[in-house]
Amino acid sequence: MDAQVRSVLRRVIQRIPNKNIENLLKKWNCLSADQLCALDYTRPKWMIVEQVTSFCEENRLNLKHITNLEMIYHIENPDKGVWHACQLTEAQDDAVGVDLTQFKEQFKAHLHGVVRHISIKIKKHEDEAIWIRIAWGDNFSKPNHLKPTYVVHHLHTSYVFISNLMAKHKIFLCQALVIATKHGSIKDGHLSTRSLTAMRELLLRRYQQVTYPAMFTVTKHLFAGLFTDPCIGKEHSEHEEMRYQMSCEAFGHGPTPKLETAVYRLETRYRGNGNHTLSDREEFFRGVVRFSSSSLLDSLRHCVASGMAEGPVTPLLSAITQRGRNYFVITDKGPGVSSQASAQRA
Amino acid sequence: CSNHLPALFFFWLGVFLIIMERRGSAVNTPASRPVTRRSKSYGRSCVEAPSYFWQTPGHLAVLKIPNSRGTAKSQTITNKVDPEHIALLVKNEWKLSYITPLHHFRHTRLKSYSKHLSAFIVAEKQQGVAVEVGLEAGFKVTFSAVLGLAENDEDAETVFIQIQSKPVFAAVADAPKVVWRGWLTCVNGDLEYLRSLPPDFVSLPLFCTSGPESLTTLVKSWFERVFDCNFGCLALNSTTLNWLTALWTGCHPTCNIRHLKLAWSLPTQPPLDVSYTVNPQDAWELWNSIHPEESTDDRIDIQEVQSFINGLEAHFFRHFKIFLSAGTLVKVSTALGSAHVDGKIKIGNSDYITTLLTLLTECALLKMPA
Repeated sequence: MDAQVRSVLRRVIQRIPNKNIENLLKKWNCLSADQLCALDYTRPKWMIVEQVTSFCEENRLNLKHITNLEMIYHIENPDKGVWHACQLTEAQDDAVGVDLTQFKEQFKAHLHGVVRHISIKIKKHEDEAIWIRIAWGDNFSKPNHLKPTYVVHHLHTSYVFISNLMAKHKIFLCQALVIATKHGSIKDGHLSTRSLTAMRELLLRRYQQVTYPAMFTVTKHLFAGLFTDPCIGKEHSEHEEMRYQMSCEAFGHGPTPKLETAVYRLETRYRGNGNHTLSDREEFFRGVVRFSSSSLLDSLRHCVASGMAEGPVTPLLSAITQRGRNYFVITDKGPGVSSQASAQRA
Repeated sequence: CSNHLPALFFFWLGVFLIIMERRGSAVNTPASRPVTRRSKSYGRSCVEAPSYFWQTPGHLAVLKIPNSRGTAKSQTITNKVDPEHIALLVKNEWKLSYITPLHHFRHTRLKSYSKHLSAFIVAEKQQGVAVEVGLEAGFKVTFSAVLGLAENDEDAETVFIQIQSKPVFAAVADAPKVVWRGWLTCVNGDLEYLRSLPPDFVSLPLFCTSGPESLTTLVKSWFERVFDCNFGCLALNSTTLNWLTALWTGCHPTCNIRHLKLAWSLPTQPPLDVSYTVNPQDAWELWNSIHPEESTDDRIDIQEVQSFINGLEAHFFRHFKIFLSAGTLVKVSTALGSAHVDGKIKIGNSDYITTLLTLLTECALLKMPA
C-alpha cells in the first residue's frame, strides 16, 4: 500500500466516531473475523488507524479495496460535505430505455476518452441510487484519490446530485452525464445543501405538501353578544387556523427536508414606504438576502403560522419547496421568480 | 454610615445647588465644592439620600438619551494618536463592558499598576484560580496611555493594558506572547456628567477586552479592588445599532463602506437568521434621500435613522412578506466596522474611530446603574 492509499484509509477512519467503525468494517468485508475481533475500539483513534492499516497490509489490500471502503462510508453517511443539484433536460426518446449497464458503459467510456488519467467507480445502492466516485488526474498526473468527486443519480429521474466537483472538471462530468442518460443538456439546479437526504426528499419524492385538512368552521353566531373574550378568542383562532393552513400549503404538514440556507439576489426597484425620490429611480436597489437556520423550512413555516410573515405566502418563499431550489435571482422583469442560467451556486 | 451622615447631607446639598444653578443656563462649574469626607463607595447607595433625590452623584437628570447626534466625521486619527496603538485597536474584535468611575486612578502611576496587576495575576493563579493559558509562570503586564483619543476637555486619556506570558520552559530568547489586551476609554463623554464627578474620581466608562475570559475576570476583579469600581456587560441595543447603520452609511461618499450588512434573528422554532447585504451605493442613496448630504444641518435626527431602517425593512417586506420588526437586529457591519448586540465590536477603519467611540462611551454612561 503506497502513501496515497494509506492517506485515504486514514482519512476515512478518522472521520468516523469509534463506535461506528465496527459496522463499516463489517460491511466492507475485507478483514477477517479474527482481525475484526482484535480491534479495540476503546483505544485512541490513532491507534485504531494504525491497527487497521497493518491489517490491510497483511491482507495485501490495494487501492480498489480502500476506495471501496470510502464509498461505503459515504453511502452510509450521505449528509456530509456540500451537495449541489443539477437537472437533466431535453430527454431524448430512448432516455427511458437506458439501463444501468448502458449507463455505466457510456459514462466510463466518455470520461476515459477525454481525461487521460481518471479513476471511476460506480455502485448501485439498494434504494436504486447510482453512486459514482471519480478521482481526477490529468495528462501528466495520476488520479488524486484524496479529493474525489461523488455523484448520485436515480435512473429515469432528471436530477443529479454532485459533491466536491472542481470547476475545471465540470464540463467533463456534465458531458458524460448527458451522454450516458441520453439527454440534451444539463443545467444548474440552484439547490445546495449539506444534507443529501434533504435534497432527495425535496426533489425526488416530490416532497409531499399535504393540504391541511379542512377544519369545521365554528358557527360565529353562537357566541355573538354573550362574552367578549370567547369572541375575541374565536376571532383569533380563526386567523390562527388560516395562517396555519397557509403555512402548511407552502411548506408541508409534517417533518420538512432539512435545508439550511436560502439565498436571494435582489435586483428590483426600491419598494420602500413612501419614499418618492427613490421609488422613481430606474436603477435597481441591489442586495442579497440570506436566510439560515438549522432547519430552514421549519423556521419559515413557523414564521407564517405565527404571523411573523403575512399570508398568503409570497411565491419567493414557497418557490423553495415548489421548485426545489434555494438560490434565486429576483428581478423586476415579471411576476414571481425568474432565474438566470449563469447564476452562481449558493 | 451614621457618623458620616451630616457630612454627606452637606455634600448632597452642595450637589443639589450645583444642579439647580445649571438648569436653564450655560454649563458652569462653581469654583468651590463643599469639601467633605466621602465614603469610598462610589455608586453603591448605602447612604441615605434625601427623599427628593434618589440618585447617585453625577448621575442626575443630566444624562438623557439623545435624539440627534452629529454626522460621522472622518479624521486621520494617526495625526493625533500613535499609529502603533491604532493598529492594535483596529486588529481585534473587542468585548464591551462599562465601568463606574475609578477612585484615585492616576495616569502617572501606570508603571506601578503594571507591576501590581502582574503580581495579582500570578498570586491568583497560584491559588488555583483557573487561568487557561497553559503552563505559563510569568505574566508581564503593561499599562500604557494612548494619548490623543480624548476629544473634549473632560475626557480622560485612554489607558491600554497588555498581558504577555512566557511559557515555563521557553528559551530566554523567545519573545513573550501577548495573551490578553484591554483598554479603557472615554471619548466625548457627557460634559455635565464628567464635571459633576467628585475630584478623586476618573471616568473611563468604556472597557474593551480581547482574550481569554479568565484573564478578563482577573483584571476586572483587580480593578474592583484597587479602584472601588463596578463592571457590567455592555450590550448594544437596537437603537445603537440603528445609529451605527445610519452613521456608517452616511460615510460612503468619503470612504467606501463596501457593503451594508444587517443581520436579524427571528424567534421561530428553530430560530431563523436573516442577513441582508445591501449594495453600498444603493444604501447611501436611500440614506441621502432621507437626510440629504447638502443639508446645512450637521446633525442627524433619530427620526431620520428610523426612517432609514424602516425603508430597508419595508423593501424587504415587499418581497418576502416577513416583518423583520418581529425579530431583533443583531449585527450591523460595513467596512468601517461591525457591532453585535451582545456587545462585541470590530473597528474596521481608524478614520471614523472617534464617531464609534463617542457613541459607545455614551452607551456605557447610560448603562451605568443609577
